[in-house]
Amino acid sequence: MTLRVDEGSLKNGVLTLVVTLVEVIQEALEHQALRRIEGGDLTEEEQERLGQALLDLDDALEQIKADHGLTASVADLHRGLDDVVDELVDKLVNPARWAEQSRREGP
Amino acid sequence: MTELLSDDRPGRGAPDALEPTRDLRATLPDLVDVLLDKGVYLDLDLIVTVADIPLIGVNLRATVAGIETLLEHGMMRRWDAQTRAWVRRSVARHLPLADDEDVVARMAGGHRQEEPVPLWRPGTIYLTTRRLLVWRADPRELLWQADLADVVGIALRAEPTIGGEDRTRVVVETSAGTTLLSAAAPERLRDLLVQHGARPAAGGPARDEPAPPLLRDHAWYCERLAGRSTWRGGTATLDETAGLVWQGPLDSRPAVRLRPDRIAAVDVERGRTPTGARVLVVHGRTGDGTATTVRLAVADASRWARAVAELAGLRALEPTGGPR
Repeated sequence: MTLRVDEGSLKNGVLTLVVTLVEVIQEALEHQALRRIEGGDLTEEEQERLGQALLDLDDALEQIKADHGLTASVADLHRGLDDVVDELVDKLVNPARWAEQSRREGP
Repeated sequence: MTELLSDDRPGRGAPDALEPTRDLRATLPDLVDVLLDKGVYLDLDLIVTVADIPLIGVNLRATVAGIETLLEHGMMRRWDAQTRAWVRRSVARHLPLADDEDVVARMAGGHRQEEPVPLWRPGTIYLTTRRLLVWRADPRELLWQADLADVVGIALRAEPTIGGEDRTRVVVETSAGTTLLSAAAPERLRDLLVQHGARPAAGGPARDEPAPPLLRDHAWYCERLAGRSTWRGGTATLDETAGLVWQGPLDSRPAVRLRPDRIAAVDVERGRTPTGARVLVVHGRTGDGTATTVRLAVADASRWARAVAELAGLRALEPTGGPR
């Protein structure tokens, strides 16, 4: 039996994963940047620099996605991850679901 | 309006005490945001044993949170302050700043020294919380500085450079006099200065835009090379400040530049040119004072002659008509 790996889709898959994770980190960074700016101890110059750097990062990511045709697959993976997290959080905060699940899987 | 009302469920205006407030769809960014906003503290003791014999021990204590959260809890405060202070110092390396003075912006630029001879001195423009200064790093010299409190006016002005094209300069008026600055981003410098208390000069906007040229047309320039004259195609421009300018399509700077006050006489001659039988002849002086004669073949030579004469304040000469 031979294992066939499509090199193109493998590259795309890995890139999609990496870009999606970077996107998640970027969103977290943006959120924290906003909190820092609202916190009020950054000087104007620091705020300017921070905003510019985040804008540059955003541009670079969009560029990479456009260059490799990843926009759709990254959005898909993002949604998929969100679903996983949604399910996980749902289970964590609603212990009642555990019983439900074990009943379903039960006999 | 009706849509809004129909969407309004009972109890939405004032949340019921027992209504869950959690957004029903959690996303990964939401999760990360919550973790970072609240902070995660992990205290882990772990022993890996084989056949009930401990072999590897892990004692892990980790706190992960947004810096803002850590600061609220009094953690990493000094580290944060030191990191930012270090960056501030490295931005303003070598720059002699007062203790409570911070750099607001930095850009490449220069200032024009008027005495003893007008001269552009390149350096870096720093806007600090107190001063506007032009600093040259190597060799170290403070080329020019003004207290922000002394700046009474700020404006942008288009100025022809030595190469003939227009550049926007920043005009800073202080109680000591007017200084011309060049800056990589003049508009941003002006806006920052205004934000930091400098007043924009009255009548600023009118001087912001460079005036359109009076005349611009394709023209042939009679160039003398190695004792022979050749007609070369290019663009001639007549401008109120720059005067008569001619530039070939491949030239990096104009071959002809005659400021209005250096134009001495204008004439239209007859001659064989690529466009017809009339040549615009302009007599003037170059920057170092030597007399020069510029011959241009344009489509409407007499109109150019009138415009040049008017600009230079000369009496327009009648076309001489006969060959010379």
